[in-house]
Order: sequence, then structure tokens, then C-alpha cells
Amino acid sequence: MANPLKLYLTCVRNTLEAAMCLQNFPCQEVERHNKPEVELKTSPELLLNPVLICRNEAEKCLIETSINSLRISLKVKQADELENILAKKFLRFLSMRAEAFQVLRRKPVQGYDISFLITNYHCEEMQKQKLIDFIVQFMEDIDKEISELKMSVSTRGRLVATEFLKQFL
Amino acid sequence: MATFERASPALKEILLRIYNAEKPIEVDHHLYEFGSVEYYIKSSASEPFTYLSISTPLLSQGVFLSYGLSPYTLQMVRDISIDALDIVEPPTDGYQLTLRLDFSKLPHDKESLKIITEVSSVQAVILSSQLKEMLQNVNSWDISQGMYKPIKLIYHPREPFYVIRQPQKIVAVFPMRFKDHSDVIIATSFFQELMDVGSSGKWAKVPHCNWSPIPPPELIGEPFEDLSTNGGFVSFDISSHHVEGKRLDKTVWSLLNFYAYVKHHVKCTRGFIQRRMRRRMDSLVQVLEKSMIEENGEIKKIKGNAGWKKMKKWMRLTSKSKMIKRRYHDFRKKMKRIRFRIKIHGFARFRRRWLTMPNFSSSMGYTQLKNNN
Repeated sequence: MANPLKLYLTCVRNTLEAAMCLQNFPCQEVERHNKPEVELKTSPELLLNPVLICRNEAEKCLIETSINSLRISLKVKQADELENILAKKFLRFLSMRAEAFQVLRRKPVQGYDISFLITNYHCEEMQKQKLIDFIVQFMEDIDKEISELKMSVSTRGRLVATEFLKQFL
Repeated sequence: MATFERASPALKEILLRIYNAEKPIEVDHHLYEFGSVEYYIKSSASEPFTYLSISTPLLSQGVFLSYGLSPYTLQMVRDISIDALDIVEPPTDGYQLTLRLDFSKLPHDKESLKIITEVSSVQAVILSSQLKEMLQNVNSWDISQGMYKPIKLIYHPREPFYVIRQPQKIVAVFPMRFKDHSDVIIATSFFQELMDVGSSGKWAKVPHCNWSPIPPPELIGEPFEDLSTNGGFVSFDISSHHVEGKRLDKTVWSLLNFYAYVKHHVKCTRGFIQRRMRRRMDSLVQVLEKSMIEENGEIKKIKGNAGWKKMKKWMRLTSKSKMIKRRYHDFRKKMKRIRFRIKIHGFARFRRRWLTMPNFSSSMGYTQLKNNN
């Protein structure tokens, strides 16, 4: 892992370890309801300060915490048009299958490419450390996958171009 | 997706079957191929000839649509095999050309396979000869403003391309249009690779390829709707080397199918991206499964979409089991009533008094004191 990426991911990991202290908290406004407070934002006393971690202008991670839920939004690096459409396609593909991931949000927060919503119930069902590992590994894998996809598309294009030009020989 | 070979594989197979049959066989086939191409093959046991009719979109120049085949094209078709092939006039209804094939006049060696392959590529022969004729007959050459006038050719509707004749070469320009923005990006990446490969030393003999997002200077003066594209312009410089002898047919066929080739590549790339995304998603889900807390020594596994479906199934099962219990209880009551339908007068009172278990515990909870006075 390159140094800048390692520092970025370490910073995200440490912030998540501090932020992922969630407990059950019923809704203060509607009885017998239990809602993720980070989504509603109706009670400011239940919200913590959001933390924005920027690797550079193009890559950043927003961590918003509340008493019973945590939202992580990621902006992925997109160097050119091809990476742009590949990232868009891939992250939309994952978001549409959010139920497979449980902690993934179907629609990303505005200004970001993908978002996670972790509630106290997820923390009860899953191990906290491994959940953090998953988020960090997800960030790493997304970058790797988009780079590999871009390289594969270019390689395919080159092979097809070679085959086309062979016809003229 | 149809193959990009000149010879139609399906047509070749049928013709070979007829040729290799020991006795004349009955054949009546209609073949439909990509690009609105239609073949009709008819052969009967009583007649020694096989009839092949073909209907194909023709190459049009500008706004003038082609109707029928020119004598030059017909001559090029006859040249495939002078002995075994003859053109039938008039052609079968609904087709542009009907050929009469006499397989008995074909040589009994590898040459016959070659001729049958050429007959199977009759569509390519028609289109190539049309393009050759157009290039030969251009009024040589309309020069306006010091530049040769481009010739607009239409093979597929809404996909015209231009051919510009220059002193040392012919330039073929393809305005590229795509419906989807992601198709534009994938195609642009392909065109850049095409340029890179074509400009390398190893491929010096192939036509020089160029891509630009804006119309090339040769197309100045052409209608705006023809020059408005989202995929840029791809141009090939065809020199005399590329049109010598047998290379001419290959070059012409490759140029005519360039649009279809690009669109096929874009479609395949999208499918490839989709497959990779699915595989990657499966590997990411497996990482998440490892974070599940162990229950009773087993890790709760929720695989992909099955997790949500399992929960729904479980909820349905629990409500079902309650229903089953209730129904069983009702059934038991009913059975008891049926079994005890035989009534004996006074037995109920007798049962209540003598057959019930006595209650040893006192409901009041105290013992009465004896009165000693």
C-alpha cells in the first residue's frame, strides 16, 4: 500500500474506532419508534460533530455520528472520463444490491459516490473491529478494482484494434 | 452478433451440404442475417440447378438511393465462377439478385471449396463492387476551393460515411454517434488505442488511422446535421498499396463494417464490465460475512440477497406454526366431542363427584380451631 493511502486509511480507521460507540436509543418524538438519528437530524443533542477526512481534492471521507447510528460517505478518485464512468457504474451496481451488504445505503449522500449506514443493531450482530476492517478494505478494494477495470478495458481495446488492423495486411 | 467474415457461414454450410450430397436433395431455406440481409436457397431433386436469391441494403451515394444492381456489379458477380454460376433475369420477387448454380460444373478438388466460399460472400462482392464503381466514376474529380469534394455514402441508415479522393490516397471518414454517454467514453478509448497501435512501427503497412473530436478540414461545407456527433470522427488513409489485387476486397469490406465492429466491441466491453462487477461484489460480501458474530459455534451466514429472503421465510413460518397449533387444538376438541357422543343419564354427575381428583390444598389457607368451651 502506498504511503499516502496508508495514512489516509489509518486516519479513517482511527476515526471509526472512536465513532462506532453506538447504543440503542428510541425516537424522542414518536413513541415506540426507533430511527437512526444521523439520518433524521431532528435532535441536535444526539448528534456528534461530523468529521471530514480528505486525502486530496478528489478523495474524501465524511463520518457523521449520532447516538445510535453512524454514516460514512466516500468520494472515490476519478482521474479521467473512463474512470469516472467505471466508478459510477460500479458503485451504482453495489448500491442497487445494498441488501446484500446490510450496512450499505441505497443512495449515496449528495456530493459523494457511496454511503454506509451503521446502526446499533449492526454493532450487536457484527463484531465492531471486523466491521471497521470491512469498511477500510472496501475503500482499498474500490480503488484497486476501478484501476483494474480501466486497464482491462484499455487492454481489450488494444487487442480488438490489433485484430481490426490485421485485416488490412 | 453476426460474424464479420465476408462469407456467410450459414449460407456456406447449406451450399456445401447440397454439393456434398450423393443424390440431389430438396432444399427450401430462407436465411436472415444481421444488417437486413436475406437469402433464399431453393434446390429440388428433379432439377440439376440450385437457385440462390439475395436481398441486401445497397450502398447509396448522398440522397440518391440505389435501386437495383448496375451492370458492373452484375459482371463482378458473374466473375466469381463463369462456368457454374449464372444470373437469372428477372430475379425472384422480393430479391435483388437470383443466381443459378450448377454444382456439377465445379471442379472436384479444393478449388470447389474456394468457389463455394466466394458464392457465400456474394453480398460482400455486391457492396465492394458498388463502392469501387462509385470511386471510379466520380467526376474527377469535382474540385472546389482547392480540395476534392467528399462523397457521402450510406450503407446503414443514419450512419453515413465520407470518402475523399486525394492525389496520393483515399481518405475514409466515419462520423461516430452513440446513444449512451458511457458508450462514447468506451469507444473513444478504443479509437485512441487504434491510433496508438496503427502508429507503431510494426503496423506501418496498415492504413494510417486518426481520431479527432472535431470534423476534419476535408468535410468543410458539409451539412451540419451530418457533422454533429458525440463520438468524434475516425479517418483512415487508404493508399494504393491497400487496394492492390485481393487486398481491395478485404479493405472495402473492413471499411463497410467499421461501424458494426465498433458497436460490437462497445457492447462486449459493457458485458465484460458487468461480469467483473458481479464477481467483485461476491468477494466483498464474503468479507462482510466474516464480521458476523458466532452463534452456538456457527457463524451466521447471510449470502447476498438470500439474507433478506430467509428472514421473510422465517417470519412466514412462525405465523404458520401458530395457525397449525390452533387448528390442532380445534381438531382435538372436535374429536373429543365425537368420541363422547354416547350419553348416559346421570353419568356426568357421577363423573364430577367420584371420578375427579380431590383437591388436597385448602383454598382458605387456615384450619378451624376446635371449640373447647
